[in-house]
Amino acid sequence: MGLFPMNTGNSRQQIIPPTRLRVKAGFVVYSPDSGNRELVILDEGELVAVDKSHDNREIKFRMHAGDIVGVASLFENEPFRYTLEATEDSSVTIISEDCLESELKNIPIWLLATLKNLSQNTRLLKESAHRTPVENTLMSLAEYCAHLESGVKYPVDTLIREFNWLTRIPPVTIKADLKSLLRRRFIGLSKNGEELLIQVHNATLMQIFSDYLYAREEGLVWEPLRLSLPQKRILVHLTTIKKGVEMEAPEWIRLLNERELPIDVAQWITLQDLGCFKQGLSNKFHVDMERIEYYLTAIRYDSNLRGAV
Amino acid sequence: MFVKEGEYLFLEGDKGTSLVIVKSGMLVGMSKQLRQRHWRNFGPGSIIGEFSLLESKPREYTLRAAENSEVLFIEQKALQRELEHKPGWFQSTLSFLANHCHIAEENLKKSKIVQALPALLFLFSKHLVASGSDNIALATLQKKMLVLNNTEFSETERLLQLLEEFDILKIEGETIRVPNLQIIPLLYEALRYRALNKQVSPDILSITEQLVLTAFVKAVKENGISIRGNKATVPTEMLKAEAKKAMHGGTLTRRIIAPLTASGILEASPASGQSPVLDDTDSFTADFYHVIDLLELNRIFPLLDKKLV
Repeated sequence: MGLFPMNTGNSRQQIIPPTRLRVKAGFVVYSPDSGNRELVILDEGELVAVDKSHDNREIKFRMHAGDIVGVASLFENEPFRYTLEATEDSSVTIISEDCLESELKNIPIWLLATLKNLSQNTRLLKESAHRTPVENTLMSLAEYCAHLESGVKYPVDTLIREFNWLTRIPPVTIKADLKSLLRRRFIGLSKNGEELLIQVHNATLMQIFSDYLYAREEGLVWEPLRLSLPQKRILVHLTTIKKGVEMEAPEWIRLLNERELPIDVAQWITLQDLGCFKQGLSNKFHVDMERIEYYLTAIRYDSNLRGAV
Repeated sequence: MFVKEGEYLFLEGDKGTSLVIVKSGMLVGMSKQLRQRHWRNFGPGSIIGEFSLLESKPREYTLRAAENSEVLFIEQKALQRELEHKPGWFQSTLSFLANHCHIAEENLKKSKIVQALPALLFLFSKHLVASGSDNIALATLQKKMLVLNNTEFSETERLLQLLEEFDILKIEGETIRVPNLQIIPLLYEALRYRALNKQVSPDILSITEQLVLTAFVKAVKENGISIRGNKATVPTEMLKAEAKKAMHGGTLTRRIIAPLTASGILEASPASGQSPVLDDTDSFTADFYHVIDLLELNRIFPLLDKKLV
């Protein structure tokens, strides 16, 4: 945009003076039909901003001495939509685009940059309000799908509309992310007549995928990767333990060692940190089967998670 | 001024009265408000701290030199000197732009909260339905909101506080508890229905329908009618009498009750289609707890809609 001039550093460039008007009551100071971008400063009297876009003439606001309008129109390219009319005899100063530009040519570069930054930031903030706040759209979709029921067929169109309403991610991006989930074999597509249906094979796996992407995004260690081969063997073995068995830590260590699954105190602490054991009453621990299934599923579908299928 | 790599220029929240211009090198800005990955880099030509210069606002970032850099500080005195030589409208324009930027920032904050509401209700309702539990850990919900909608932790907390004002939930330290497991799922469905179908959800009732259901609940409670398998049956005459009180002397007619029987909320006995003749109807049956939930939904919905949507 041409409003912010290249600053030449010449402070003696000619200033184009503003236009000063003395107007009678009823005079139209500014009309949106003119297409002009200008600042209107009321020095004396009163002006009204009138919305004439509808059949009714609606007064939007009144301007009093010292008020200024048109800044957003000049700096932020936001058209001023109202007609400005004098309600009494008034004095106004009009700063045209050329006048402002000449003034801006005579200010130091840091002040120009400040003005430019303020106007740019406002524009970006306004744009952000209409955009999706989501940065990692695939992670967001995985989280959404983790809350769908495994094996249930959902119409793709409704799913896209609901997800778009929740996150404002554009449908075209949602479709691309659904393809990504399809490539990883996390979801399946089918048809019922003309209707396209989608089904999440395993909602837990979707949750794992969401957690995996989150860990990657935040630079965190992906917990299933912390498991060594002997620890993985221990997890598989723990799935065979009867539900409700509770023992103190030394007993668990002894039991696993007896079953030729060598484990020392450090490894026990790691498993505990990972949530594989839950502390019950007193010092006794029981296996958290849900957590172990989570890790084993993550390990089993490692290549799907990485997108290497 | 030269700054060495790793050197800090100032900390977030420090008092600031100057603008920083990066002449060469690279600075990195970090904020506690933003998560780690949202560092901002400031290369040559960047300016930092417009609001510190204009309004003495505290520093938004902790600013560190990512490499050996040269920066220039512009103090408020320099700004005042410049403005002294400018026409009055120039300062008004500068103030307007700064103010406009603040307004855009506030609007964005508000709209982010409003737009995050469906995502929060989605996650919460799915959790309540899947777990059958009446609570969720604040940290879990915050993380899920971040993953699904990129909602900052503080924004989720603010939204929860707003919902607490309507007695939808209770924030108990690190746990969010709901007094009623059904309300959040019902609220989510009502909003979802409206968004996807562009019409009011069938669960959102007219005032008259609400009065009839209130009369139904009162009849059950005040006459000691037993509730079997969640169902309660109210004789037609009793419902008429209660409805007359609830509707301030108004009469319960076939036309008034028809939408409630058509939607299946009330069942007429003997069954006589969707619009039963009251004189031929012995009684009305409904899922008592569902009726109470619907009345609660209808209490909350317009209030929430007014405040947030």
